[in-house]
Amino acid sequence: MKNLMKAFLVTAMLCVFISAPAMAAKKVVVGGKNYTEQYILAEMAKQLLEDAGFKVESKTGVGSVVARKSLVNGQIDLYYEYTGTAYTVFYKKKDTEIMTNPDKCYNWVKEADAKKGLVWLEPLNFNNTYTLMMRKEDAKSKNIKTISDLAKYIKENPGEINFGIDSEFYQRPDGFKKLMKTYDFRVGRNDIKLMSIGLTYMALKEKEVSSAMGFSTDGRISSFGFVNLVDNKNFFPVYNPAPVVRKEVLEKYPEIRDVLKPLTEKLTTKEIQKLNALVDIEHKDIKEAVSDWLKANNLI
Amino acid sequence: MIINFLGKLKTFFLFVLFVLTGVYLEKIGFFDYITDPYEYPYILRLLKQHIVMVAVSMFLATITGVVVGIILTRPKFSKYSGIVMYIVGLGQTIPSLAVLALSLSVLGIGFKPAVFALYIYSVLPIARNTLAGILSVPPEIKDAAKGTGFSNMRILFEIEIPYSMSVIITGFRVALVINIGTVALGYLIGAGGLGELIFTGISLMDTKMLLAGAIPTTLLALFGDFLCELASFILVPKGLRTSSKTN
Amino acid sequence: MNKLLEYILENYNNIISLTWEHIFIVSIAMVFAVIIGVPAGIFITRYEVFAKKVINTANIFMTIPSIALFGIMLPLLSPFNLGLGKVPAIIALVLYSQLPIIRNTYVAIKNVDPAIVDAAKGTGLSRWRLLKEIEAPLAIPVIIAGVRTASVMSIGITAIAAYIGAGGLGVLIDQGINRYYTEMVVTGAIMVSILAIFVDAFMAALERISTPKGVILGRKLEK
Repeated sequence: MKNLMKAFLVTAMLCVFISAPAMAAKKVVVGGKNYTEQYILAEMAKQLLEDAGFKVESKTGVGSVVARKSLVNGQIDLYYEYTGTAYTVFYKKKDTEIMTNPDKCYNWVKEADAKKGLVWLEPLNFNNTYTLMMRKEDAKSKNIKTISDLAKYIKENPGEINFGIDSEFYQRPDGFKKLMKTYDFRVGRNDIKLMSIGLTYMALKEKEVSSAMGFSTDGRISSFGFVNLVDNKNFFPVYNPAPVVRKEVLEKYPEIRDVLKPLTEKLTTKEIQKLNALVDIEHKDIKEAVSDWLKANNLI
Repeated sequence: MIINFLGKLKTFFLFVLFVLTGVYLEKIGFFDYITDPYEYPYILRLLKQHIVMVAVSMFLATITGVVVGIILTRPKFSKYSGIVMYIVGLGQTIPSLAVLALSLSVLGIGFKPAVFALYIYSVLPIARNTLAGILSVPPEIKDAAKGTGFSNMRILFEIEIPYSMSVIITGFRVALVINIGTVALGYLIGAGGLGELIFTGISLMDTKMLLAGAIPTTLLALFGDFLCELASFILVPKGLRTSSKTN
Repeated sequence: MNKLLEYILENYNNIISLTWEHIFIVSIAMVFAVIIGVPAGIFITRYEVFAKKVINTANIFMTIPSIALFGIMLPLLSPFNLGLGKVPAIIALVLYSQLPIIRNTYVAIKNVDPAIVDAAKGTGLSRWRLLKEIEAPLAIPVIIAGVRTASVMSIGITAIAAYIGAGGLGVLIDQGINRYYTEMVVTGAIMVSILAIFVDAFMAALERISTPKGVILGRKLEK
């Protein structure tokens, strides 16, 4: 019995010693949405923070609404959100003057979220806007360069064009339903195929749909031979990504701001496109691609 | 006495649950959503897609499953039955999502790859039950029939099949319920169906959309299950009817 | 094929960690399922009145398509911030596993030859000892068979749970589809299948080992 007690005490002390460093460590939970660019951004934040001595847990792979709710509820501490998304989806605002101007948009959402205890850190410099894509030869043969061209074509040839879009895009206030209204065209519900994000590129490639929705920094657009239709009516807001952190977490670890700052200068549109292509086309592992890039840019 | 009381309590409880669910659904705008003139035809269309996928794959699976099951009981092929059933058993262990995913990687996205995956996945319970059912026919009955001059064909159709009807229908029923659930996953490989509402509802945290997909799918499965009970009642000869509730 | 092997070798760590996550979820669910299901099964053998109702209820749960059940639980659990993740997945798995486990427990105990039970009672065995020394050893193989069915089914459902944020091998399938990365999808599908087949074989072996020698002998003699 005495021996048992001794063994128990030793084990208990060992447990405390082993977990002590863990308890003292700085811990952050990083969230992210469910497409490649978001996985890359979340991974960047993770590696940069780990390099600065943080213990990071990732909770990625969810939709925009879920990511936002998780942040508000404190289930995650930080994730990269796009200015346009926050403006139109979470705040449901539609002032075109603000939302198409990168600075105005960023300042607006920063102020609004500050009241909710959410801090927007330095934004990144690229614009990952939604785009409507078509296969290059198809667009050429139908003489379609802008979304207005497409709208005109649809009116003259009803029933010919069908769309492959992501379910989130369909419902969002900056999404497809509103797009149809702004460009004054209407496609039957049967000609709108909803699918999960990655599948839209496949559907367009396999000619299952005539036009698909995509992200402008996605690496597959050029490599699959797609072309982005010009948003001549400036329907889409600007989407600059920025880390959004909970106030309490930032107050506890103010160094987070400086750890993530360097990305603003180094992660340009070209760089993110390259990274996206590396992951989506060449199928490079996300962790590796990110760590290689960070090392090459002397950030870790 | 206590039993009576508990029974009444259960009914009361279920009734309250039913009413509360109705109130909740009304509160989140579920009924408005499914009767909205823009959304309503879309929901019906997804339901139709769903039913078509179930019907086509189950039809093909039943024909294949029953035929394969019967063939394996014929003396010529009975030596293969062990191996085939082992492979079949193995196939049943593979999760439905995996079968859909493999179908996607080989056949691409859309309706056809999904139906193909569903077909493959649904053959197994039917084939296995057909085989087991026919093998369980007591040899004495077959002997007696042979003795009275029945041809092998007649034995098959008038004795073996009716005798195993109950088991075959159970196999069909198991396959059907799983099939309806798996069709909901078909959305993930671009095949549409009620899964579209469910997964979109999850990603947008839109409860009414999610339930507009989940509830019909559940009702469809329960209804299919019920239809099989009915079919069992009609198709199984009176003398062989056993309670299948604990099956 | 080459690309597949390449993928597996490069992402070995990730694949293994997802596999462990998958196993973790299923294991926890099975533990709870057995803790709830076996006593429930024993209960309804003593109080037959509830047998039909309990088994019917469990049956209804199993008829509900898994993704639909996840969907229905989402709004129910969101107020507690548990709508997504491992918790709803484990709850759903426990619910699904009740039918095979309760039903098998019930049938197993019921099927113990009444003559044996009588003889045991005749020698003065108490209810508890009766359960422990006669009914249990005979019923255990059948109960294990029920747990086996539940486990294999749970592995499949857990793959789907990746879509409500539970992690596990379904993540490979989900991300693979979104990134148009066939090798990832195939790896996820194959790993889940291997896991299911392995667990099935393992539990089949458990079934065999746990069958009392006398029963095996009896079966052989019958043939």
